[in-house]
Amino acid sequence: MRKLLAIVKREFRAATGNKTFVIMTILGPFLILAITILPGLISSDPAMMTSGKPLALVVSNPLVEAALQQSFSQQGMTLASLSDEAVGKDGVVAGDYAGLLVVPPTWPEQGASYYSSSGTEVVIFGSAEAVLSAIATRQRIGQAGIPADQIERLLAAPGFQVIQLGANLSEEEKGDDDFMGLMFTSLGFVMLIYMTVLLYGQMIGRSVVLEKTVKTVEIMLSSVSAKQLMLGKIIGLGLASLLQYSVWMGMAGLAIRLLGPALGIALPAAVSMVNMGWLVLFFILAFFLYSAGYAALGAAAEDEQHLGQLAWPLLIFLMIPMVMISAIVMNPNSPVAVGLSFFPMTSPIVMLVRLLVSEPAWWEIGLCLGLLVLAIYGLSIAAAKIFRTGILMSGKRHSFREILRWVRLH
Amino acid sequence: MIEVRNVVKTYDSVRAVDKLSFAAKPGEIFGLIGPNGAGKSTTIRMIMNIIAPDSGQVLLDGRPLCEADKNRIGYLPEERGLYKKMKVGDLLTFLAEVKGGDRQASAQRIDRWLERFDIADWKERKVDELSKGMAQKVQFIGTVAHDPDVLLFDEPFSGLDPMSQDMLLEAFLELKRAGKTILFSTHIMDHAEKICERILIINKSREVLSGSLAEVKQRYGSPTVRIEFDGDAAFVSGLPFVKACRQFPRALEVELADYEDTDKLYCALAGRVKVRRFEQLEPSLHSIFIRLVGAAQEDLNA
Repeated sequence: MRKLLAIVKREFRAATGNKTFVIMTILGPFLILAITILPGLISSDPAMMTSGKPLALVVSNPLVEAALQQSFSQQGMTLASLSDEAVGKDGVVAGDYAGLLVVPPTWPEQGASYYSSSGTEVVIFGSAEAVLSAIATRQRIGQAGIPADQIERLLAAPGFQVIQLGANLSEEEKGDDDFMGLMFTSLGFVMLIYMTVLLYGQMIGRSVVLEKTVKTVEIMLSSVSAKQLMLGKIIGLGLASLLQYSVWMGMAGLAIRLLGPALGIALPAAVSMVNMGWLVLFFILAFFLYSAGYAALGAAAEDEQHLGQLAWPLLIFLMIPMVMISAIVMNPNSPVAVGLSFFPMTSPIVMLVRLLVSEPAWWEIGLCLGLLVLAIYGLSIAAAKIFRTGILMSGKRHSFREILRWVRLH
Repeated sequence: MIEVRNVVKTYDSVRAVDKLSFAAKPGEIFGLIGPNGAGKSTTIRMIMNIIAPDSGQVLLDGRPLCEADKNRIGYLPEERGLYKKMKVGDLLTFLAEVKGGDRQASAQRIDRWLERFDIADWKERKVDELSKGMAQKVQFIGTVAHDPDVLLFDEPFSGLDPMSQDMLLEAFLELKRAGKTILFSTHIMDHAEKICERILIINKSREVLSGSLAEVKQRYGSPTVRIEFDGDAAFVSGLPFVKACRQFPRALEVELADYEDTDKLYCALAGRVKVRRFEQLEPSLHSIFIRLVGAAQEDLNA
């Protein structure tokens, strides 16, 4: 026990006592924020998309122009009214304008056109299209002889509510904001697990490879068992990651308490104590699972490069839930989501998302946790075997088939 | 006492160690001698249970080695390695700790050894600032810091300058006086000759010879005497028990038929020349090694 403790202490100090750790701990939350929120901002905020360039308009109908002006200025964009279509096209090509919207005098009989250098700014031309079709609809209904006051009544959207029904029939109204809150919270939590598991998994893999490359492994194995060495590394780095987590959560809590009221930012409702509990639980489980995997690969790898090559199966399993997250948030009880929330390599992330957005049955949570613990146990044993066999081998690269043979050995 | 009985290790199709047996006793320095690739490191790794032998046994005080015995053994591997980012003092404390050494006693021993090797000033410096020789000294201290009964050193002198080599030889003798069992491997005969009580020469994974150094020398050396004298000693070559005689300007090297003849030669000289020096020359371990291992090589080549 004392030996294990000594290794845990050493690994913890090796992991935390360097500049990278301090920088990551401080910058981590900003990085996660940037990764999760920035792409959303870029794709949904036209002002950011056009990087401040005006949108050129060639419109003869003053009513249409006024409506477009109003709509786009609300979105923080500037418009430039032109009379010549050719000038506008030149401006787009030269990069002076973000795009060119042409509404011909014969509109709406003849359609409008949008020109841009990429043609992918769906937010911009989407909102132009919406404004134009609203005007055209009103114009056509008016031309059919219906009085103006009736047109508004005809076009008014009926009410529509989304209500989350709890197990005890409790009802909770969900708005767009709730969905976005859930989406961002899920994304944030998933990113947190993904990044830390990846970061620390690789750290463990590297730390094991390092024992081989700096040749400390023989001294260590002459002092402790391979199991103690591996466990010491996993626990030591696990504690380092938990320290990082608590700093991050403390920072987030402090920021929201101090700056929240001033900026009018509140925590999304999904960030509750219960959900934070789930986050930490699934993080720890994911951490142990992937640590055992990376430790085994580290023992089998010849050097860091080789470790990178061997690590692809783990990376793929980590990527699957990342790629599927929005599908899972939108349909948390689909067979695929449920299946992935049982499969141990993906379950920590997928089950966490399901817990955030829906209410999986207790047996589902139990099955997920049970399988996860079993998988951790099995993988640790396999890892210890690979570790014991592979850690002394050097100078030769081993294939996966050979490594699997080591697992069956003994 | 550490005892190796009939250990065998095969890698793929190559036999690395073939039925090796020997024992190292407390208060004794045992030398495992052989050319590169003979199987020395594999043998030491098997003693340390870093590699499991295919067959055969390693016994510590008469019973098979277990996990707890690791604490009683200090091991300096041939592949030297230290955690580079750690401070020298922290690293040595850590190495003693994973060997289950008493914290305070280890700390004192570490300080004493650092002092002794003139590297006390480096205690708070990081390992990657050390020169190769210094790192080797630190590694040696790491091996002895927990005060083990048994010490295994794999090529302990390689990479050290002559002064450091002497420091290490001194340290070996001190540990021996303290009753430790010391086993070390080397391919440098000079070191083995200076400090070993007993040796085992291994070549191509097999034992070539073993025994106490004195025995080995007697068995494989021919009795030679070097005489320095004043006068005319031309008659010596004609003596019946003299096999060969080499004349140097002021000395004579006489090869005798038997060790027993040494006295006869001394008597024969007495009164006829003025003997200033009469020295029984021993064959160097180096020459024995070259003879045995070289012969084996030629056998194989033939």
